[in-house]
Amino acid sequence: MSAVAGRRKPRRPPRSAPGGLPRRPAHCRLAGAAASVRGVGGSDTLLAARLAAGDDHALAEIFDLLAPAVYGGARRVLGNDAAAQDVVQDVFVQLWSHPGRFDPAAGSLRSYLIVLARHRAVDVLRSELRRLARQERSYRLTGDQPTRSAAEEAMAAEAADVVRDAVRALPESQRQVVELAYFRGLSCREVAQEVGIPEGTAKSRLRLALARLEAVLDRELLGSS
Amino acid sequence: MTSQKRDPAGLPADLRERVLEASLRARAPGRALPSPPEISPVEGLGRAADAFYGLLCALDDADWARPALRGLDVQGLVGHLTGVEEDVHRCLAGNAAVAEADHVESTQPAAARQAGRPPARTRAEWRRAADHTLQLVRTADLDGEVAMHGIRLPLGALLVARAFELWVHDNDIRKAVGLPPSVPDSSTLRLMTELAAGLLPGAAARTGLGTHTSLRLVLTGPGGGTWDLILGGGPPGRVAVTIVTDAVGFCRLVGNRITPAELDPYITGDEGRAAAVLAAASALALD
Repeated sequence: MSAVAGRRKPRRPPRSAPGGLPRRPAHCRLAGAAASVRGVGGSDTLLAARLAAGDDHALAEIFDLLAPAVYGGARRVLGNDAAAQDVVQDVFVQLWSHPGRFDPAAGSLRSYLIVLARHRAVDVLRSELRRLARQERSYRLTGDQPTRSAAEEAMAAEAADVVRDAVRALPESQRQVVELAYFRGLSCREVAQEVGIPEGTAKSRLRLALARLEAVLDRELLGSS
Repeated sequence: MTSQKRDPAGLPADLRERVLEASLRARAPGRALPSPPEISPVEGLGRAADAFYGLLCALDDADWARPALRGLDVQGLVGHLTGVEEDVHRCLAGNAAVAEADHVESTQPAAARQAGRPPARTRAEWRRAADHTLQLVRTADLDGEVAMHGIRLPLGALLVARAFELWVHDNDIRKAVGLPPSVPDSSTLRLMTELAAGLLPGAAARTGLGTHTSLRLVLTGPGGGTWDLILGGGPPGRVAVTIVTDAVGFCRLVGNRITPAELDPYITGDEGRAAAVLAAASALALD
């Protein structure tokens, strides 16, 4: 017994708050920072094993340790508090619901969560861009001015800058069809007539341009986080 | 820019609570993932019996004569298990004498009568006895209480305890003949960890764990899970202990086949109390 008792410095376990959630300890430490369970390995592996075992205290410990980095990463991509909080929630719900998706052999838990947050934030941004584009098209067709919050305006402006730069970097032949199709709202047939090329060629240039834009935007958005 | 309240880590003040609550709504705590398919105690005992019989069929004649446990050779140990099955039959038939019978002493005649027999006969006798147990319990009320070898518990729990014992002795035999240890399938293991966690408060009381202790037991790996247990008496919330260890290792401790030091658990909270809890766990073993 003394071998167990003397093995490790004890750490204060999280106390339960009403509702069963552990409160944040005064000085948060990763529970498994220097510890391992036989056959389980290092701290991230121990935390992953605890999550898989249904130990919600492990989730609270991970939140206390890594949520600031996850939140910061999401906020840098989105530039928006509320959206970044939603991303933090999605990331931790996913970690808790699918702990097996984190593979400690492939990298640290910190990296895993930050990458997850970035990807989720980029998804949110993409979806927001699509929504804004739909809103813009509707405005052109109906003349109704879209109502946006200050945060939406900021996000739209930031996203528009990124998109404009990416379009500017396209080869001339592709840039021309993108501008006609998306900024002037022409159909593929109209773009082909305007440029003086077959409709099939216009479609193919548009496809190539969109694939290229997608890659550039991913790099830009991920790189900015 | 709204001025939102921040916590000391610079996060919005209510984010932690919101995220943890959303997480627990998505998946209730306690249950391990991936969750093994649930099986009945009868199925668990059937699987353990099949695994044990498979081991016996793989032994050669010399293996049966190797020393295994408590002065018994492998053949004597299998005889002991036949004796246990015979006591289960008596228990199910309402024989009150089995309730307080000693687990080892009561089965000694069955162990002794194996001496000089061909191993195949010992093996066949045990298989018949185990099959008879399975036949008797297939339609029985698993929630009904039974008493055997000084323990009173629901029949379903008794069957899981039998599966537990078969696995422990399976490993005794493996050790005796130089085979690597075995691990139960995750569904059976889950039944075993549930049983061990459920019996821990009683074991703690018997071993004299006085002060009230709030134990969080986290058993990792297939068949594991998380349990919040209250052990001992006294005012609540006085001593809190968390023990994290792997499920198979914990079952070996409960079977008294490894020491807490060999288990090498990760502990937070009161060290002395954790040691007492682990001692109580190993005291659950009957032999």
